[in-house]
Amino acid sequence: MLGLKPIQQFWYGLTGYEFTRHALDMRRELEGIFMVLTVGDMVGVPVLPPVYALRLLPYLVLEVAQWKREMARRKEFWEKKEYDFQGV
Amino acid sequence: MNSLFAVILGIVTVYLAYTRYARRIDRSVIQSDPRRATPATLYMDGVDFMPTNRNILFGYHFKSIAAAGPIVGAIVAATLWGWLPALIWLVVGVSFMGWASDYSAIVLSVRNEGNSLSAVAHRLISPRTRTVLFLFIFFYLLLIAGAFVGIMASVLESQPRTHLGMILLVAMGLLLGQMLYRWRSGLLAATILTVGITLLAILIGPLTEGTFKGLNEMLNGITGGAPIVTYFDPTLASFKGAEAKIMPSLLFWALAICVFCYAGSVLPIWRMAQPVVYVGFWVTALAMILGLAGAALGTFVKPEVAQFRIPAFKGWNPQLGPAGVMPLWPMLFVTIACGAISGWHALFGTVGTARQIENEADMLPVGAGSMFAEFLLGLLALLAVSVGAKGSPVAAFANGLGGFISVWGIPLDYASSLAFAAFIVIVLVVTQLIFRVMRVTLTEWLGEVVPVFRNQHVASFISVALAILLVLTGTWIYLWQLFGAANQLMAALSLLLVTIWLASVGKAWLYAGLPMIFMYVTTVGSVVVTAYNLYFNVYRPNVAAGRLLPAAGSGLMVLVSVLLVMAALLIGLDGWRAFLKYLGRPAPAPGPAPARG
Repeated sequence: MLGLKPIQQFWYGLTGYEFTRHALDMRRELEGIFMVLTVGDMVGVPVLPPVYALRLLPYLVLEVAQWKREMARRKEFWEKKEYDFQGV
Repeated sequence: MNSLFAVILGIVTVYLAYTRYARRIDRSVIQSDPRRATPATLYMDGVDFMPTNRNILFGYHFKSIAAAGPIVGAIVAATLWGWLPALIWLVVGVSFMGWASDYSAIVLSVRNEGNSLSAVAHRLISPRTRTVLFLFIFFYLLLIAGAFVGIMASVLESQPRTHLGMILLVAMGLLLGQMLYRWRSGLLAATILTVGITLLAILIGPLTEGTFKGLNEMLNGITGGAPIVTYFDPTLASFKGAEAKIMPSLLFWALAICVFCYAGSVLPIWRMAQPVVYVGFWVTALAMILGLAGAALGTFVKPEVAQFRIPAFKGWNPQLGPAGVMPLWPMLFVTIACGAISGWHALFGTVGTARQIENEADMLPVGAGSMFAEFLLGLLALLAVSVGAKGSPVAAFANGLGGFISVWGIPLDYASSLAFAAFIVIVLVVTQLIFRVMRVTLTEWLGEVVPVFRNQHVASFISVALAILLVLTGTWIYLWQLFGAANQLMAALSLLLVTIWLASVGKAWLYAGLPMIFMYVTTVGSVVVTAYNLYFNVYRPNVAAGRLLPAAGSGLMVLVSVLLVMAALLIGLDGWRAFLKYLGRPAPAPGPAPARG
């Protein structure tokens, strides 16, 4: 039976979901800058003295794999993904 | 014929095509496996690759593919050939081709690590296919941008009652972006405020008609009532062709639209493009829901608004202009694109939706389900124009939809105002996104070779200037058909890729291959017909009259037609070679599918 919940979810997909995705995207952009500043040496960018990076590492370790994948998909790490034109 | 029968026919079509055909292909050919890990689960990054609930994704995908296409296409086709051929093509197209194209593009991407069409083409066909696809996509976007700006400028100029609503739509979009992303307001409160004010402005639009009419007259007074550009329009005078004029007021509204689109293209997406689309969505959704339900109920409540008034069939080859030809085949099949089959859906499905598929069992309800919902939107547009039947094609649509909405007790004047606004809103918000994608495509395509194209203002300005040039030719119906052809060619190319992929993995490919052959031949044929019409009906008369701008615009369209045909032939040739290669020697079967962990 078609309950209320699937309809709510469908309506959310039509309306608010895009804002959620974009807010997540904006957050990721900021976090990406933070990651480059702290552990950028993992993708070849010289950064903070390792002692500070090491102190931050426990907080970042869960994000590292996703972040490296994201960086690998970009042509240049400082460019926003729009220019990679993932639409085509 | 009345609207109730058409609505019932639509629902029966969706039920039969989904349960009897689409589901069978999903089970027996694609063999979707809920236990197989999808790219969303394998490469989750929290945003692009993100496992998402199927109902949410259905809404998201439908909203992303539903735009002005199904509406404008149905309006033009019903005007040219009558409602019956349009209805038959909508039903047959979506049942055997449309869902297959949308669904298969998502399958292709899900089974190829979330790759886009061009990336799969690069791997399966040849590297140059990707470059040709870029060229193809840019011109495809240029054509639709030109067609939409032309349609909107003429509607805005002739309907001053819609102006207040449109101005408030943009203002409310900007306010919504500010509220959500800067002031951190709740979505519900922000929606009630911004959508409420926009709707109010649309509904009281008829009260401000005099003011905006005065503005148009003042603008036209600048040249003393003389036109800025004169051109030959083969669609005027009941398609016999006549001299048409671009008045200062029309140019003003075309430029206003371009300024709006330019801003939407260069500002951060949260600032303008996204919130304006959101506010516009509510206006359109309201009109469409009231309209579709009104179309079903109208037969009982208000029979006069539900009766078809245009002829069922107007002929196989209506005369369009003094030298024009408009044969039902192939032109009907490109005039109605999105409600039957569309390349845009496949393009978006591979990169937007496929990367969020949580479970392979969701591919069918999301991909095919959204296409069937889009078909119902196209059907509503066809019904509206068929019962409207007064004035220009767009006015007929708005009058028809207004009639359906008036079933709910809203006075006809206000209901028509809402219908006009819904049409303009859906076209306007899509156009700004088109310019944005055009700018990005131009950057991606030429930015490596000519660095100045990496500047967003340069890329946006070039896109807008080319679209304005096309508008000045005035022949938006040809532009629409050329766009439709490019769009349908994209669908054929997507089906070609799916066919090659199916052959490469040793699966039955006929369900995608047969629609691909039909669409490929049909659309290449339609581009040739349109190029012929443009050359003899528009370019030559304008050159003979020494009109520089319309001649340049129509000349550009002829050139684009030739480039589209060449691009299609190149991709078709490469695709055929790849298909033969894989047909004789299927690629080695992939290793066991990764199971979801």
